[in-house]
Amino acid sequence: MAQNEHNTLIPLKKSVITVFSGFIVIGFGTFVYNLLGQHPERAWQAYMLNFLLWSAVAQGGFLFSAVMHTVKARWSGPLSGLSESFAAFFPISFVLFLILFIGKNHLFPWIHEDLHGKEIWLNIPFLFSRDAIGLLLLYGFGAVYLYYALGWKLQRNSSGRPIRNSLIKLWNTEKWDEGNYRKRMTVFSILYIFLFAVILSLIGYDLVMSLDPHWYSTLFGAYSFVKAFYIGLGALIILASIHYRRLGPASGIKTDHLVDLGRLFFAFSLVWADFFYCQFVVIWYGNISEETAYIIERTMVSPWNSLAWTVFIISFIIPFFILLNRNIKTKPIPMILLSGMIIIGIWLEHWLLLGPVFHHDAASIPMGFTEVLITLGFFGLMALALSIFLNLFPELIPVEQKDAAR
Amino acid sequence: MSVLRNMDTDVTYNEIDQTVLKTLESPSRSYWLVIVLLFLGVLVGAACWLYQIFIGIGVGGQNNPVAWGTYLINFVFWVGIAHSGTLISAILYLFRAGWRNPIARAAETMTVFAVCIAGLFPFIHLGRVWMVYYMLPYPNQRNLWPNFQSPLMFDVVAISTYLMVSSLFWYTGMLPDLATVRDRATGFRKKIFSIISIGWTGDFEQWRHYTRGFLFFAALATPLVISVHSVVSWDFALAIVPGWHTTIFAPYFVAGAIHSGLAMVITLMIPLRKIFNYQRFITMDVLENVAKTIIFTGLIVGFAYATEYFIAWYSHNIVEQESFRWRAMGEYQFGFILMVTCNSMIPLLFFVKRIRRTIAWLFGISILVNIGMWFERFVIIIGGVAHGFMPHSWGLYKPTGIEFGIMLGSFCLFFFLFVLFVKHLPSVSMTELKEMVSAGSDNEH
Amino acid sequence: MNINMNTEKYIMGFFRDEDQAAQAVTDLKESPYTLKRVHGPFPSHKISRALGQKKSKIGYFTLAGGIFGFFAGFVLAVYASIQWNLMVSGKPVISYVPFFIVGFEFTILFAVFGNIIGMLLLSRLTNTKIPVQYDDRCSGEYFGLLATCSRGELDTLADFFKSKGGETRIFE
Repeated sequence: MAQNEHNTLIPLKKSVITVFSGFIVIGFGTFVYNLLGQHPERAWQAYMLNFLLWSAVAQGGFLFSAVMHTVKARWSGPLSGLSESFAAFFPISFVLFLILFIGKNHLFPWIHEDLHGKEIWLNIPFLFSRDAIGLLLLYGFGAVYLYYALGWKLQRNSSGRPIRNSLIKLWNTEKWDEGNYRKRMTVFSILYIFLFAVILSLIGYDLVMSLDPHWYSTLFGAYSFVKAFYIGLGALIILASIHYRRLGPASGIKTDHLVDLGRLFFAFSLVWADFFYCQFVVIWYGNISEETAYIIERTMVSPWNSLAWTVFIISFIIPFFILLNRNIKTKPIPMILLSGMIIIGIWLEHWLLLGPVFHHDAASIPMGFTEVLITLGFFGLMALALSIFLNLFPELIPVEQKDAAR
Repeated sequence: MSVLRNMDTDVTYNEIDQTVLKTLESPSRSYWLVIVLLFLGVLVGAACWLYQIFIGIGVGGQNNPVAWGTYLINFVFWVGIAHSGTLISAILYLFRAGWRNPIARAAETMTVFAVCIAGLFPFIHLGRVWMVYYMLPYPNQRNLWPNFQSPLMFDVVAISTYLMVSSLFWYTGMLPDLATVRDRATGFRKKIFSIISIGWTGDFEQWRHYTRGFLFFAALATPLVISVHSVVSWDFALAIVPGWHTTIFAPYFVAGAIHSGLAMVITLMIPLRKIFNYQRFITMDVLENVAKTIIFTGLIVGFAYATEYFIAWYSHNIVEQESFRWRAMGEYQFGFILMVTCNSMIPLLFFVKRIRRTIAWLFGISILVNIGMWFERFVIIIGGVAHGFMPHSWGLYKPTGIEFGIMLGSFCLFFFLFVLFVKHLPSVSMTELKEMVSAGSDNEH
Repeated sequence: MNINMNTEKYIMGFFRDEDQAAQAVTDLKESPYTLKRVHGPFPSHKISRALGQKKSKIGYFTLAGGIFGFFAGFVLAVYASIQWNLMVSGKPVISYVPFFIVGFEFTILFAVFGNIIGMLLLSRLTNTKIPVQYDDRCSGEYFGLLATCSRGELDTLADFFKSKGGETRIFE
């Protein structure tokens, strides 16, 4: 068997696979159970929420590496490798998106509504095809970037699993040096960043904003992708913290890396809150009823206003005061807990945006075991994908830092 | 591969000092000519303003429906320019981007002067300038206080804060350099610099507090930049005028501000480095990095244009749709075309390496970007109110000679102050350059 | 006391090279001579580490300013609004959404004021007299290490500096 000098981040032990697969089974089971029950829409709505959230985590997490490469940052080091591992979720996300099509009748309230002309944009065939193409492009460019990034990093010994071997064969056919790899990577990193902004905006408009087809906000698209980068950074911190905790300084991650990453995370918590406020203040101040109905239902009226405050407190207020401190960023366990809490907060924020559409006149916040268990299933998918990927390419997490100018 | 490619590694501290101090020597004849010409321009502007104060605000083109004309366009334009100076000196400092060091001083100076000029315009557009003190919160006999719910008051607070913070940041950044000048100056200049360098000796106990304080300055200036131009954008977005009332304005304006400011940085740096022989410090790499950032901000601005049009269609709001149709097709179409081409398309030329490393291209494109950004404010401000809700109140606007005179005065004042600055104060930060040389020589992170 | 003042001599050692200066600082701290202070044209991390400098407490001033500013902004806006005490444009008399902006800007403004005050006080920059034992070279290309010794040890201290690669200047 291949001798891996590198410690793998999450060793693909049987226990790990069992646990994560178990989550997936539970999630899938709950989903199917509800599908066959009286309220299939509940299953689909939880599905859509999780699809959006976990895809955003992957897209945002991957963005870190693309951005660091484009600006030629020198501080990111081994963090870029961890960031690239989020690409493992891309194919899963794409398939999950296609499956959304099956539940369309439960998800899009405008399907049978008279939209007075908006139908040429909001119709199922066009919506699904443009979003699918968009995701294909985004994930495609990400994959090509990953191809070059891995090609540069990986050892070319042909031991290991078949996927790895075929990739290595491909790389060995190219006779390139560092300069060529970097140039190619730059082209695709820029393409990925550009598409990240465009496609995530598009998905924000199509899958979230359009659910209330009479409301609109020009910043909604940008708000969606800023949110994605925010939770992507959170997920990256979780990965980095796990790795750092397991191996300590031998992981190649220094406290400086963690501090810088934590600072970037803090900055994006401010950006996310700022983008939320930008939408809020404009709509609040203008007081135009076409726009305010959306905001009022979600932030000022029971039951959703308590959810709104919860989101605000756990995804902004608490992280703000905690992340002001430098030292907390170097402690893995608190950071894992904090990032986890923030991602849960953004999960709740998704529910805040989507929920009132699906549950008009709700007396209390509709959330139960269905949502939690389906979320668990998605988490299992993400975790399993990352574990498999990091085991396939252990060089993504170098034990010693070899190349400072990465 | 050298980590720090931005400056030749054989630059010595002495060379830095000598080059910068040389710029403070007695100026040449051409300098005086430039100063006089610029000052004449300032006088023209002042005369026009004086005329307006005596005759009334009607000498400008503002009327119904366009009550906000070039005075507001220039206000937003200059505040925008100011922001990218803070981006370079504060935000890039936080990101530890070494290429900012040679241009940080000039950029921060640009900020301070641009905010000063911008701050003039609320005065100018007031008409009854002598009543400007109404905006200040002070106890008075009639118990009248400003309405802090108004975005115009947010502006007062935000711009004053920005002016004070930028000036203090600028001064603090300059302090060690002022000591350097003091130690090498004689006579009257030595006296002045002794006062303004307030006893700075470079004692490491001073440096200890200074570096941490500077870090906090940078950390505070960053949210300030974002908030100030967001507040300026909300002057428009919080109104319900179609074309103004849109949530994207805050980040869109901030990105646009940085876009125009970076272009102005290039416009200023190119003659500066040529005349003062700064080529060894403000290298082509530095200019190239500014150009690359302009691509980024240009794309954001282009993205915002596209988003606004998409949502205008998507909203199926006939007023919004008409407003945006008219913007692209109506009487001010030339402004729209200038705006889109100069701001989002022309900067894409910087993707070509040869273009972004050629001085002539850099200079030319930077001028075009600023023209485009000026017209963007024109299209937004004029285009919004000229073609609002009610068709019978639609109207057009044409700036008058007085407004052009004041605009000329403002541009001349900016360059006048900047040209004055470069001859009296060190226009490149000697301290930060020395740090760069030291870091480069040991590949230190 | 007085006897010490008479026999204490100041020597400043000048080093062009940052590493040499940092090494000299370390060596000087281990030597019997007293290192008074170090001057430099830029804040070198190496020398700072050699001196064992701790983080500055200026942050407390900044924080205090910021907290004050946050509340001052809100208080000002709320107070001004209550004086009029009527709803304007349908906005409640005390509305946090717009007042937050005033509070935010004031936070930054007073945090900066705190920062400046802290910097001036902690660095004692308000005392604008330059000490006698200062050389103009320190703001240019040299790091200046000021050390004291008794009159008799003058030459040995000067040699000490020269052996580390620096030039010297003796202050009366």
